[in-house]
Amino acid sequence: MRFNEKELVSLSRQPSEKAAELGMRGPKKGDVVKKRLVKLVVNFLFYFRIDEEEPIGALLLEQCRVEREDSQTFSIAFLDEAERKYLFECDSEEQCGEWVDAIIKASYEFMRKNLIFYRTEIHRLTGKDPLEQYGISDETRFQDCFTIKMTLFKENQPKTSEHLV
Amino acid sequence: MCAAQRYLFVWDFVIQVELPVPILKCYFPLRHGATEGKTVTLLIPNATVTSVSGCISVGMKLHEKILTHYLSCTSPVDKEGYLYKKKARNATYQRRWFVLKANLLFYQERPGDRHLLGVIVLEGCAVRRPESDGQFGFSLVFEGPGLKTYRFAAGDRHTQESWVKALLSASHCYLSLLVRDLGRQYEEAKQQQGSGESCHSSSVSALKSPTSFFLPVQGPTAEVREGRSLSASTVLQAPTKVVARKSPKLWHRRNAHVTPLNGPAPLYGEWPLVGFDPLEEFSKLHDYYGQEVKKARDEWLRSRQAQEERSDGDLINLG
Repeated sequence: MRFNEKELVSLSRQPSEKAAELGMRGPKKGDVVKKRLVKLVVNFLFYFRIDEEEPIGALLLEQCRVEREDSQTFSIAFLDEAERKYLFECDSEEQCGEWVDAIIKASYEFMRKNLIFYRTEIHRLTGKDPLEQYGISDETRFQDCFTIKMTLFKENQPKTSEHLV
Repeated sequence: MCAAQRYLFVWDFVIQVELPVPILKCYFPLRHGATEGKTVTLLIPNATVTSVSGCISVGMKLHEKILTHYLSCTSPVDKEGYLYKKKARNATYQRRWFVLKANLLFYQERPGDRHLLGVIVLEGCAVRRPESDGQFGFSLVFEGPGLKTYRFAAGDRHTQESWVKALLSASHCYLSLLVRDLGRQYEEAKQQQGSGESCHSSSVSALKSPTSFFLPVQGPTAEVREGRSLSASTVLQAPTKVVARKSPKLWHRRNAHVTPLNGPAPLYGEWPLVGFDPLEEFSKLHDYYGQEVKKARDEWLRSRQAQEERSDGDLINLG
């Protein structure tokens, strides 16, 4: 699968609030702990060899489960495979807690849910749709599930223009 | 025998061979997320090789399975459809099926194809419309030295506009700013509710700015918040409003507290009686929405009367 690698690498070099040297271990049997520079940028977790400028890899932090394994270690599990976890060893309990928190909050889906909550509440409290002023009130990404179904239903009504080859 | 291989993962490899061998085997990982490395056999006939050095560019691994899993999971797709994508090399366009989810734009040949051709991570890019508008085109321009521009063409104006609009609000950065902004508005709304003031949130109006997003306009009551001022380059342009005026009859649910979130949001001007306290003035609300119901009911009664008059002569004649 192709992807915009250069652009992602460029993204990985942006300043980030959360970047630290952690012990990282892959999910496969036989993977060992290696010291990596782990960096959280948007909803990606990049990891670098120490003192290298370009990351070795990037993990998309969506549909994953972040858990505390012990006082200083947290794990991330993907693909609904609870046993296959990436492990991260921190220097302190506090650092570990901060990372878990930051990763959960970095997820796009998490942010979307918050947005929908705020939108609903603001409307309830003020009678106004706060997205109206930005001209994005009918974007499906900012709707709740019910509205999405209705919008998709409407969009899927046959339109002649979509049959152009 | 092949001996000590000093292997630097990132950019180059060096193989030193102590004995003359006609065959060298070297191992290097593939680009673009391959999990296995590739073994290449180089034939060097009749040579005494003492050292070989070469440069391989090794790419960053994007864990594809995680992406494809996210694509196929239950969270909703933000937009999908056919678009033409321009090939980098020979400037031809190929039709691809695009799926936009969060800040990721996936593409494949056809909907339902298991094989994904690629993904574009939508961070750090601007959405641009071309100057000459013949082709319903638009592009994603990644800002930075050596970074790409992806060019697309849609089948018609409507498709072009809806994709541009969807892509403008797709990035994580954008969503993050939006959430922060709404979070603040929420806190203010709660406070104002608590102090028994009217529903108007004065700081909301301070934010209204058609050309610039999230550049804080300091109103008389707005506090200066840390971290909210942004350079112009990080601010996305507000998509131009092309919202049609919808008749209230098309709203499938009518409730002053819930309406805009369960259907297309009406234009601001269509909001009746906003700014009063609905809990105190429910009768006004009731009357307003009741007008339409009353009209519909009157029409129905009239048409029913007309029907009855007509059908008098149509009763079954049992006689």
